[in-house]
Amino acid sequence: MPNEDGSLVRLENIHKWFGNVHVLKGISASIQQGNVVTIIGPSGSGKSTLLRTINCLEEPTEGQVHFDGREITDIRTDLNQVRTEIGIVFQAFNLFPHKSAKENIKLALEKVLKKNSGEAEEIAMKELQHVGLDHKADSYPSQLSGGQQQRIAIARALAMKPKLMLFDEVTSALDPELVKEVLDTMQRLAEEGMTMVIVTHEMGFAREVGTRLIFMDDGKVVEDGDPQQLMRDPKDERFRAFLSHVL
Amino acid sequence: MSTAAGTQGGPPDTRGPTAPLPLGILAAGIAALVVLLAGSVVVQVAQANSGNVVTQECEAEGVRAETSGGSPVKGAVGVCNIVEAIRSRAQTLIWGFGVAVGAAASVAGWTFYRRMPSKRQREQAIAGAVLGIQAVGLGLAAFWFRSGNVGTFARNFLNAEILEGSMDGFMRGIVNTLKLAFVGEFGGIVIGIVLAVLAISARRTVRAPARVYINFFRGTPLIWQLSFFYFLFLFGFDIQVETFTAAMIVFSLNTGAYAAEVFRAGIQSIERGQVEAARSLGMTYLQAMRYAVIPQAVRRVIPPLMNEFVILIKDTALVIVLGLTAENFELYNYAREIYSDTLNASAFVATAFGYLAITLPLIRIVNAVESRLRSGLTGAIGAH
Repeated sequence: MPNEDGSLVRLENIHKWFGNVHVLKGISASIQQGNVVTIIGPSGSGKSTLLRTINCLEEPTEGQVHFDGREITDIRTDLNQVRTEIGIVFQAFNLFPHKSAKENIKLALEKVLKKNSGEAEEIAMKELQHVGLDHKADSYPSQLSGGQQQRIAIARALAMKPKLMLFDEVTSALDPELVKEVLDTMQRLAEEGMTMVIVTHEMGFAREVGTRLIFMDDGKVVEDGDPQQLMRDPKDERFRAFLSHVL
Repeated sequence: MSTAAGTQGGPPDTRGPTAPLPLGILAAGIAALVVLLAGSVVVQVAQANSGNVVTQECEAEGVRAETSGGSPVKGAVGVCNIVEAIRSRAQTLIWGFGVAVGAAASVAGWTFYRRMPSKRQREQAIAGAVLGIQAVGLGLAAFWFRSGNVGTFARNFLNAEILEGSMDGFMRGIVNTLKLAFVGEFGGIVIGIVLAVLAISARRTVRAPARVYINFFRGTPLIWQLSFFYFLFLFGFDIQVETFTAAMIVFSLNTGAYAAEVFRAGIQSIERGQVEAARSLGMTYLQAMRYAVIPQAVRRVIPPLMNEFVILIKDTALVIVLGLTAENFELYNYAREIYSDTLNASAFVATAFGYLAITLPLIRIVNAVESRLRSGLTGAIGAH
């Protein structure tokens, strides 16, 4: 059940303060089903904080987040239930080091979605196959490369059958030669029609895979539109300066 | 260039002469220490095998063969043998040799180590010097000891025959010590986990009682807690509790406070991302704790918890303030029982060996676990 305006996510005038630091300065945006939104911007511009407000890992100081017909910033909303519908992948993978790849995926299926072990096992193996790592099912995170760990983390999030996937600089901690395998996985996911919000520094990926680009600076959305068009013809001065630095 | 060295080519040699005999210094250090220790043992054994009377010299030092009533004193010959051996000429020679050779080794080592041609030989010289210092220290302490009241000391603390027939009692003491320590530690861990989870709560109302508990039990002496809570159970709550059981409970309560701090540190050492990952999968706070954080924290706190356990093993001796029935005597209580029967403190010396028999293996295990955790095998302990 989408929001009244037909969007999957709607942010309304989001402000976030960390102590005295004003990190998000009144952001409003809507994300439609099937959008692949990439958020770019200089470090400290609030990209990750914005992403993390979407599943309320960061609670907005002010403003509302609507997801799939519910206002999730309302204190009466069952956030734990909402979070099962929003997958998130982190820069630092955050796999559970004491559990094997398969157990990492099964944990929330069993404990949160209350699936029995057999069902969870089946889903876990399917998702591992999906990211091409079914042969690593019994490996522990410490035995896997960074790229493999990140793909497991993606599989763990996908196993919950989320309606939305959030990616928080997922390739920033990877060696250059491992970046591609993770980006390929994400591209396949986009092609399958998953709604995705991606904070990234990979400009090529933003242009080729993203269907929409948001450029943030100093806690505000500066540009928002078609990535190819925006990058070809950057209008805003700050966006132009940013592009000339990273391209 | 017209310097003096220029005609030779290369810089002048500043290394100085090469020192002789690194192995000699090492050998001297080892010899000093080994002769000192092994020699003393040999002298003791020889005297124990040859001496069979209480000599006049012993009598003069207070080692009596008979009481004033005329009955023989148990173990007097053995004690006299120890005293005679310590006072013997052979012992003087051995200790003198240890001190002299040890001093020579350390002087030579410290003088020459910088001039050894290789790192390996330098280390040999330093090792010889260090062993030499140890030999000198031990030897001088031995001479000092001999100048005191050796007879009085040996009579009261080194009378092995006093301990005849007490093996069963000591074994029971070890078992009871372990019972107290294990139950105390187990109860303490359970209490500690609960307290730790409360103590890291974001809510002050939840945190406060945990802090009060922890600070109270860490801030008052265990010996006071033992008697206070025993009488609180007995009179305050009117529970007919045995001293042994009361001790187990108080050890649990006390260990719980220390374990709580250990667990709190362990939980807080787990990266924030672990909780975020769990919460973002829809887990509640308690689920995130239970399935993601605590299993990892438990692994990290194994070494400090085992250290606490070693401390608790020794602290069980404090149960003496409550008084135990004979079948519940732990090591220290049993030793005091022998002391009050014989007015001889040798049992206390034996008790130390009882505690070491328990704690040394444990300390070894702690060290092994620690080095295994340090070597990066964080998932390795109980990974499956």
